[in-house]
Amino acid sequence: MVLELDHLSKRYGGTEALRDLTLHVPAGSVYGLLGPNGSGKTTTLGLALGVLNPTAGAVRWFGQALSAASKRRVGVLLETPNFYPYLSARQNLQVVAEVKRAPTSQLDEVLETVGLRNRQHDAFQGFSLGMKQRLALASTLLGQPEVLVLDEPTNGLDPQGIAEVRTLVQRLAAEGKTIILASHLLDEIEKVCTHVAVLQRGQLRAAGAVRDILTSADRVVLRPGPASSLQALREALAQLPWISDVQAEAEGRVSVVLDSAHDPAALNEALFRQGIVLAGLELRHRSLESQFLALTS
Amino acid sequence: MLFRAELRKLLPYRTVWILLALYAVLLAGFVGMSSGTVINGQALGNTLYAFPGVWGKLTYVASYFNLLLGILLIILIADEFQFRTFRQQVLNGASRAELVQSKMGVALGLTGYATLVVLGVGLFFGLTRGPEAAPGAITAELGAVGLYGVQALGYLSLAALLAFALRKSGLAIIAFLLYSWVVEPLVRSQVPDSLDRYFPGKLLGSLTPTPGQELLDTVAGPSGTLLPTQALPFALAYIALFWGLSYLLLRRDL
Repeated sequence: MVLELDHLSKRYGGTEALRDLTLHVPAGSVYGLLGPNGSGKTTTLGLALGVLNPTAGAVRWFGQALSAASKRRVGVLLETPNFYPYLSARQNLQVVAEVKRAPTSQLDEVLETVGLRNRQHDAFQGFSLGMKQRLALASTLLGQPEVLVLDEPTNGLDPQGIAEVRTLVQRLAAEGKTIILASHLLDEIEKVCTHVAVLQRGQLRAAGAVRDILTSADRVVLRPGPASSLQALREALAQLPWISDVQAEAEGRVSVVLDSAHDPAALNEALFRQGIVLAGLELRHRSLESQFLALTS
Repeated sequence: MLFRAELRKLLPYRTVWILLALYAVLLAGFVGMSSGTVINGQALGNTLYAFPGVWGKLTYVASYFNLLLGILLIILIADEFQFRTFRQQVLNGASRAELVQSKMGVALGLTGYATLVVLGVGLFFGLTRGPEAAPGAITAELGAVGLYGVQALGYLSLAALLAFALRKSGLAIIAFLLYSWVVEPLVRSQVPDSLDRYFPGKLLGSLTPTPGQELLDTVAGPSGTLLPTQALPFALAYIALFWGLSYLLLRRDL
């Protein structure tokens, strides 16, 4: 395990920001922390990395207690890009390299990776939010860490920047790095993560492989033709063992879930054989938002 | 490593250069103009710059400019909270003890700078304006400059403690000035003289005594301040205490 969080809790005065969180991040995974704003993602990472002191619980990195040495094996972008506004991008990275004990020969490479090489001598305070975020990503790569912790890494980036960050994360994961990615965007987690933990109001709602947690079946929406009644349609559906979760929809329609061995064409054919003619058949992808709501409600 | 990181932060920072220049220019300017001061109808004149007495007078004057150095250190520490760079450095693998040590390094650097400026100003005015020095007179009371260095470090340590405690430069600067000018004098006025002399401000002040203090003492009776050499171990203890407390304060959430 790269990171183990055991029964971690954090209380700020009367507010419980995190309650009894236990989470294990396996080596080589892209681990997503998913939750709405204020659900405890940043608090979890702050505790894991020692900038916040836990009210209870333990943190272990690489099987050992958190230490300065173990943190140098981890590249971190937590919440906001934190740099000296009066220093240039390059000067800021030089400071980071000193703290991480990373060779300054890596500066050009990481600046190139995030596309800031042309702006490296400009002061950080003149950067746009997207450029600040890129610089923060560059700093996480210094010292070639085995693990990257990225908290909302696409914050402030334009669509091209978002795509670039996703590609970068996937490339780093392919190189064997473990990546811990916090996001409130389901789409982001689903596209790049292998594992996910869902947090809500400081509590863990679900954790496991993305395919187990986030993928749930699409629904097929059926509209009976003028010759077939809704009642007849329902009765016909009840005859099919590979159909489940029949639900009434607006405008006299019905939605169902198919098992993985059958597709909408098979359903259409089966119904026609029972004398039901459909006026409409539509595959509705279950929205990520509705999956998330199902997980957290 | 971390000291080099400090240098990388400080050297391009204009605020640092402005405050350092201000310290040197104000001190040299004040000392340069002092000879024109008229007391009892007579200008003090260039005897003011005579070795070795110039060191005692100069370090007494310089003690008033410690505030500038303190304000600079407060800004540098509060910046790290404001920019959230202390937090980032801990994320990047620095320990909290290292962060405090690196700021202690900055305080030592500022102390070294202040001591060198005092030495330079003393030598410049002593050699160019003072009467010709007797052999050995130039170095005779140089210890006063060393004591001034400890005093400057003491004020810097207090400034650092306030910055670590309050985390905001405006607040910490106000607290620093209020403590030095109002709070400590008020509290001291309420405690017996035997305790009064051990308060940090008074104790650090006694490292650079008022010129002619001995004369004043014979006229007005002993002032109750410690001699510089008596104050020295207490000053060093305060410095250690202030940095120790700073470390404890930095262990809070970042």
